[in-house]
Parts: sequence; structure tokens; C-alpha cells
Amino acid sequence: MTRLLTTTGRRFAAAALIMLAASACGSSSGGGSSGGGSSAAPSGPVTLTMWYWGNQEAHGLSSFLATSVSKYEALHPNIKINTVLQSTDNLMPNFAAAAKAKKGPDIEYRWGGIWALQDAWDGNLAPISDYIPAAERAHYLNSSEDTWDGKLWSAPWYVQPSFPILYRKDVLARAGIAAAPTTWSQLLSDCSTLRAKGITPIAGGVKDGWFGGWLFSILGSESLTSVDELKQAVVGTKKFTDPDLAEWWTRLGQMISAKCWNDDIGSLDLYQAQQTWVDGKSAMTVTAGTDVRKFVTQVGASKVGVMTMPKYASGVGAGKLGSTSQTLAISSWSPYKQQSADFIMFMHTPAELALFYKDTGALPADNRFDPALIDVPQVKQLYDYSQNGSPYLENFIPTDLDSKANFGGVQLMFAGKATAAQAAATMESDMARIRTIEPDLIDNFKKWTGQQ
Amino acid sequence: MDGTAVASPGDRGTGAAVRGRSRRPPWQAFLWIAPALAAIGVVYGYSVYRLLIEATHRDGKSVGLGNLRIAIDDPFFRQALGNNLRLLLTLPIIIGIALVVAVLLFEGMRGWRFHRVAVFIPYMLPVTVVGVLFGELLTLHGALNTTLQTLHLNFLVQDWLGNPDWALRSLAGVIIWRELGFGVILFLARLLSLPQNVFDAARVDGAGWFRTHWHVTLPLMRSIIGFYLVIEAITLMSWVFSYVFVMTGGGPGQATQVTETYIYQNAFASDIPWLAAAAATLLLIGVTAVAALFLVVRWGYSRRRAA
Repeated sequence: MTRLLTTTGRRFAAAALIMLAASACGSSSGGGSSGGGSSAAPSGPVTLTMWYWGNQEAHGLSSFLATSVSKYEALHPNIKINTVLQSTDNLMPNFAAAAKAKKGPDIEYRWGGIWALQDAWDGNLAPISDYIPAAERAHYLNSSEDTWDGKLWSAPWYVQPSFPILYRKDVLARAGIAAAPTTWSQLLSDCSTLRAKGITPIAGGVKDGWFGGWLFSILGSESLTSVDELKQAVVGTKKFTDPDLAEWWTRLGQMISAKCWNDDIGSLDLYQAQQTWVDGKSAMTVTAGTDVRKFVTQVGASKVGVMTMPKYASGVGAGKLGSTSQTLAISSWSPYKQQSADFIMFMHTPAELALFYKDTGALPADNRFDPALIDVPQVKQLYDYSQNGSPYLENFIPTDLDSKANFGGVQLMFAGKATAAQAAATMESDMARIRTIEPDLIDNFKKWTGQQ
Repeated sequence: MDGTAVASPGDRGTGAAVRGRSRRPPWQAFLWIAPALAAIGVVYGYSVYRLLIEATHRDGKSVGLGNLRIAIDDPFFRQALGNNLRLLLTLPIIIGIALVVAVLLFEGMRGWRFHRVAVFIPYMLPVTVVGVLFGELLTLHGALNTTLQTLHLNFLVQDWLGNPDWALRSLAGVIIWRELGFGVILFLARLLSLPQNVFDAARVDGAGWFRTHWHVTLPLMRSIIGFYLVIEAITLMSWVFSYVFVMTGGGPGQATQVTETYIYQNAFASDIPWLAAAAATLLLIGVTAVAALFLVVRWGYSRRRAA
């Protein structure tokens, strides 16, 4: 019985530990970081820690970093840089935990827009514009979405054209379809044709939720005249049930009704589903722009086409790809802010930009990158799209809204458990909840978007 | 050994031992456990203190029970708590199956040694491994559905984890599968310690299999069943994070969200630590109440038996 009682105690204590995990969290301190000012150059050895993500969507990123870090360390013998790849699900939580302890990376990877700025508002980031000169920053692409209160908080690293549809010319031809659909009605019609031939029209996966945010951004941007409509819905001067803002749910419903998606979309992650496209079992898939070269290489350039989501409206994102950059930020507690910024700037030198593309196939977020280096036609197409991109919607709503309303709503629609109207209504009520629970977040959002 | 009573041959065991122990001054016992108490006090006491501070403050200002009220009113928390309570409904199933399997093994069913190991193996596997494994098996075109189709049982095919109506049940099934081993071994150990003559007497009195176990085995195992019940209740209330995180992430929608994932997401993904702390406080109160209820019931049972 002693063993049993010991086990009881351990279980109970462990249960209590789980519950107490939250107690490690400090209270969020709204407002900006203290940041600012250059730190004195250290005379002794410096070790920088960089937490990054992106090898998942830009294969070869880890390889690029290893090379680039080696080169930088050779140039700066007193500096050592440790890089740590983060998983998708842990990227945000790990940094949140580090922020509570004020201990962790010096350089942190952030998705663009609000994904970076929420940390700036919580005081977890140093304003990177205090450490990178304006002349240098002027070369960075899409930096406006990471700017708040007159400062840049996270430096664009590489562009994420969001999100292209890849189609298999050979698979479409097998179903007697000569060209990829460009209009909404063509898309729905092609879905029926492909289904009749036993081919999955589009491969996707929503099990982990993230693809829900993509669909929101891709489909949602088509019906908005401006991203301001979205911002207004966040602060409450418009509603997510308004026709322009809710239209995308209806269009998603149409795609589901037309059986455009794989039937197991609810039990797969996107990356798992994409394999069926590689295997030629589905005609189209949605992918990160940064991943296009990998897929083209796998399948063969002659078989692959790139397109935007067929149009159903003429809004700000119709016929376009979202233009956003994945970024690198400096943590507010880093003792080596200037050294961190120097390394980020090093990765924006022409040689490193060229190496970045060579290793990853992704486009560096810097206008000094020479597009002549692009060796894959489909990637060149993405480059052209990115020159005239639209705002990427997911970067302009609270992340909590994204993960609950978009991730969850899309899952429920695919499972046939929510209608378009119900999903839109849930999004509105979820946003109302956030306004009640997180007024500071909304205040900062208003300042950021000029709604105040 | 000073102060330790030595039982005389005429003493009937425990009575003398108890009398012997009672001669020690009470403070001596506390002295012995003081280091452990101090460690627990520092580790858990401070954590609970911090938790309560977090749960009752926002932006550095005290809000009383305001955060707890918000958590209670939050539909996401309610859904998560409701899912924990639904998972609790699996308790009778886990205990029932564990009992039956333990009795069968106890009675030496054919190949019992193999079955005993086989039943316990899932409990030895890390939850993450179990989660990944079943995450694959339970996809729409996974091994389970493929097998069902092969057996012409198409009407049983489901999107086990992708359908909100089935996701929590599937999760519960996996939890039962893994947790069963612990119960079986626990019950089997107790069965092996029971006096054989009681069973012999029952058989001599003409009791069949069912009556023997219903009227003899079950009453004798009441305490161990109660213990396992509490362990599993705590597990299902506050120890299923890994299953949910790996297999469903709380989805589809909020169908498999539990209080632990709610706390985690608010603390580390949504960055609302005070809401996470408030929910954790409510969960702590709930689990403590379950444990306290068990102790009270057990104490009452012991008193009735003593009387």
C-alpha cells in the first residue's frame, strides 16, 4: 500500500504541477518595450541565441543558417551564434514562456503583422529600428505591417507569397481539363469533373487548424474592398457577419458542397495531404509560396502550374497573393541587441541573399535580391505576384481570434457541423469575447491601425 | 530503538504496535517529516501562492474574484470543463473492464502470462507515442477504417478524430486503452493477496462464478477500487493534456478542448496569463474536492468498519 500511496501522491502532485504551470506566467504588461538605445559593444565573447522557424515551409533554411552563421562567426571571432529550430505548434508558446522568464533567445523568429506586434505590445521585443539604420531598413520588404508607434519591431527576413495554388497539368489533363480554372464557376465545375474521374480536386488538411487561417486569408481577401474593413470588425465598428466579411464562409461552403476537397481533410494536417498531390492523386493543393520550388522539383517543372485562388469577387485580394514577410525580432531582454541586429543585417547582404535563395528556394525580403537568380519559372511567377500583392489578412486580426474562429470554424464546416452563417456568427461572438477579455490588446490594435 | 514497544506473545499484533507508537512525543514525528514538508511547502506552497496571486490580479491590480468569474463565464472554459466531465463518464468503463480482465488473469486463463504483459504494455508507452500512433490509425483512411471496410463493416467507418461528434469518444477510447493496464495490474495484485479460503468457502457454499466475484471479490477489493477510481478521476480531470495536444489539438472546433489545453493556450499561445491562472485555480479546487471527497468517504467507511 505504501507504493500505492506514493503513487497517489506523485500523481496528485503532478496534476497540481500541470495546473500550476500558469503560475509561471507573469501578468502581461501592456504597452511597448523599454527598448531603445544601442548597447555598448562587448569586449569579451558574445553568445547569441536564435530561435527560428521556417525550415518547415522553406526547406533548406537550416542549411542556409548553418552556413551563414559559420561565415559570420569567422568574420567576428568573439561572437558565437546558437540556432534552435522551433516546431510550428511551439513557436509562439515557447517564446511566450521565455518572455515570462525574461530569458531565452536574443533573436526570435516571428510571423509578420500582429504575430510580431502582440509581443511588441507586451514589451517582449526591442524596437529593431533602434538598431538598424533607416537606409538599411528601406530595403526590407513588407516592413509596414511590422511597424507600430513609429518603430519597426521585427525585421523582414523572407517573403511569404500567401498562398498560391499548385496544380498538376498532367492530372487535370487526365480529367479532360485543358487549363486551370480562373473563375469561381470554373473552379466548381472542375471540381465536379475531377470527382467524376475519381480524382481529388484539391488536397488540404485542417486537423492542426493552421490551414483554416490560410483559407480565411485567401478567400476572405477577395470580398473586401480594403483591409480596413477587417480592422473595423476587430475594433467593433463593423461585424464579421457583414456581407463583405462573411462572404468567404459562403464560398468555402460552396467548395465543400462541390466536393472540391479531399474527404479526409479533417483528419490530416496540410503537409500530409500535400503528399497526395505529389503522388498525382489530387489535381491541386495550396502551399506556402516558400515551398513551391521544392514541390516543382519533386514533381517536375513541366507538370506544375502556379495560380491564385480563382476569383469570386473583385476585392483587394482577388487574383492576387497575400504579401507578407516572415521576420526576425530582438527580444527586449537581450543583452546583445546591437550584435543581434548586426547579424540580421549580415543576412541581408547581397551574398547572403543569393545564398538564401539558393539554399531555400524562398525569396529574401529585400529589394537588393537579384531576381535574375531565380532559376525556376514557377518561383519567378511568385516573384511577379509578390510585386503586386495584397494585404495578408491573418496578420490583421488577433491571433486568438484566428486560432479559435478560423481554425475551429473551418474544421467544423468541413465536418458538416456548422453552416457558413453559423461560422460567421461564431467569429463575431469570439471577437466580442476578445474585446471584453483583452481591452489592452484592442487599444494597441487601434493605435496600430490608426483606428484611434 | 528506545521507546519502541516490544509486543509480548500475548499481544494481538496491531494493538500493541499502536500503543507502542503512541508513546513517542508527537513532535518527533513532525521532526522526521520536516525536511519533506519544507520541500513541499517551498515547491507547492509557493506555486499555489503565485497561482492565487495571478488568478486574482490583472495588470498588477487586485480584481478579487473577477478573473475567476470571467473564466467561469467563458464559453470556451465551460466547454473544456464539460469535456473533462464527459471523460469522467469513462471511469465505470475503465474500472469494469480492468476488473474483469484482472479476474480472468487471476483465474489463470489460457496464456495469462502473455495477456498480463500485453495488457500492461500500453501503460508503459509514452502518451505522445500512443497519441501519434492512434492519430495515424484513426484517420479517415487509416488502418482502423481500412480494416472495418475489409470486414464489410462499412457502417462503422467514421472520421474518428475529424468528426466533432466522435473525436472526444475516440480520445476516451485511447485513454481507456492505455490506462487499463495500470488498473489490471493493481487489481491483480490485490486479488493475489486475498485469502484463498474465502473463495473456497464460497464455492463449497455453491456460489457460481458471478456470485463469487460479486459477493466475495468485489467487497474485498473495495478499497483498491476506490483508490484506482480517484487516481483515474484525477487523470481524466487534469492529466490528459498530452493525449489531446498530440491527437487533436483540442479540435475539431472545440470538441476535444479540456481544461489543461485551455490553460496552456491562454498562458502561452493567447498570452492571457491571468485567465489561465484563474482556470488553473478552478481546476485545482475541483481536483482537491474530488480527492477530499475520497478521503472523507474512506474515513467514514473505516469508521463504520471499526464500529
